[in-house]
Amino acid sequence: MSDGGGPGEAASSIEGLRAGFEETGRLRGFRSACGFVTAIWGLRCPQCGDRLEPASLASTGRILSFTVQTVPSDEFLNDAPYAYVVVELDGGGRVTGWMPGVRGDDEIALGARVRARSSYKPGVQFEPAGDDGGRGA
Amino acid sequence: MRETWVAGAASGRFGRLSETGREAGTRVALEAIESAGLAPKDIDLTVVSNCFGIAERQAHVGPLLNTGLGIPEVPSLTVESACSSSSAGLHEAYVHVAGGFADAALVVGFERLSHLDTLQATSYFAMGADYPFETRNGATFPGLYATLARAHAERFGTGPKELGAVAIKNHANGARNPHAHFQKEISESTYLGSPMIASPLRLYDCCPFSDGAAALVVVAREAHGDGPREPLVVRASVRSGSIADLQDRPELTGLPATRLAGRRAFQAAGIGPGDLDLLEVHDCFTIAELLALEDLGVYTPGRAGRAEVEGETARDARVPVNPSGGLKAKGHPVSATGASQVAEIFEQFNGTAGGRQVPHPEWALAHNVGATGGSCTVHIFGHR
Repeated sequence: MSDGGGPGEAASSIEGLRAGFEETGRLRGFRSACGFVTAIWGLRCPQCGDRLEPASLASTGRILSFTVQTVPSDEFLNDAPYAYVVVELDGGGRVTGWMPGVRGDDEIALGARVRARSSYKPGVQFEPAGDDGGRGA
Repeated sequence: MRETWVAGAASGRFGRLSETGREAGTRVALEAIESAGLAPKDIDLTVVSNCFGIAERQAHVGPLLNTGLGIPEVPSLTVESACSSSSAGLHEAYVHVAGGFADAALVVGFERLSHLDTLQATSYFAMGADYPFETRNGATFPGLYATLARAHAERFGTGPKELGAVAIKNHANGARNPHAHFQKEISESTYLGSPMIASPLRLYDCCPFSDGAAALVVVAREAHGDGPREPLVVRASVRSGSIADLQDRPELTGLPATRLAGRRAFQAAGIGPGDLDLLEVHDCFTIAELLALEDLGVYTPGRAGRAEVEGETARDARVPVNPSGGLKAKGHPVSATGASQVAEIFEQFNGTAGGRQVPHPEWALAHNVGATGGSCTVHIFGHR
């Protein structure tokens, strides 16, 4: 997988992570020597305290937990109802995001495969991915 | 360290304040000081919590309170730890008093958000979460706890029966508490008929946005050990933290900060969960009460729901949990909540809790969570 200039610069700040994702649709984060992978900006590993090295994260994974929110926060006022999901990425690391158009629990499932994409909002949006893990895209 | 007591406490009616938080906080502070048999001039430290003071265009509230209490020269500080702010304030007061840096410390928590609409209030509450990595990705505060509820349901089968039992029990207790925001019982059909807010959490799984104020007076026994009321002897005052964002914790079926604070608190107090006969735990959502009881070791993981359904946590049962009505029914004026839990235990220890009185509690625990568990405070209280 091409790294588009490497994850280092984009991961140097929270704003860099956001801008990098918006431009490329690729998630970046950090990996530590203990094997901990995170999408959340920091300087040292919250698990072992060692250095965090910038890393590319997969954009596909499985839904680990979800909720369908009918009462949104102000930035999502016109989007409710939608799902908020916790996703276990292929290759490690977890990312949260929102899935538009999911109106009830019967339209989403634990373990379902999803793919991260950038959208008109700054946050991470997920969409359903096929069982090929999204590699066909 | 010096033996340290909560010698005075007061809590106002939770719900909607007709005055500013500052006014309510000052009034309840004076009431707490007087309940300890002290005067404002006896106070040598004021610890204030008012997370969302910005909603009233106000910061640096300590000097305003102290001035209003006639003690402008007393040092003050503001402690913010989201929903666990005033229990964190109690811990800071305890550290000062037990360590000999103050003889009598005032802890005050107050909040006023009712002048905001639901959307604004939801947005304020979300500020306790991680803005760029949770809120901006679509999370609301109920939504974050809903992902915990979903994970708990998947692993242990926790459903509306178990969650509803928490709501119904806490409303039954709130109905007997004149300080409670909601003083009405609810039925299972009312619970089940309430709209989904963030599935699987319904409206009646969520605590309300409340205004309110509560205050405590913390003293060294050797300095002020002759007050008019039965004190709470602080046997443990422990705070802890954990990875702030839910998704980076090893699992979603408990709060590691509660486990850590609980373990250390029981060790400090020299008792175990089975010795408790009164708990006020952080039930911002029904699932949170189940997580608290399991993480504290009162029940093994996955068993708290069944215990709630079978009535084991009722006011007149073996392990009364949230006789005040909890955050769920008493209400959740964010920065007042931690102090109000302890004010409830104070009334219970003094036998003045009226229709919600628990018979002769010996050991009580107060558990207060900041946001989704990035912070946690556990206090254990005994008798003289």
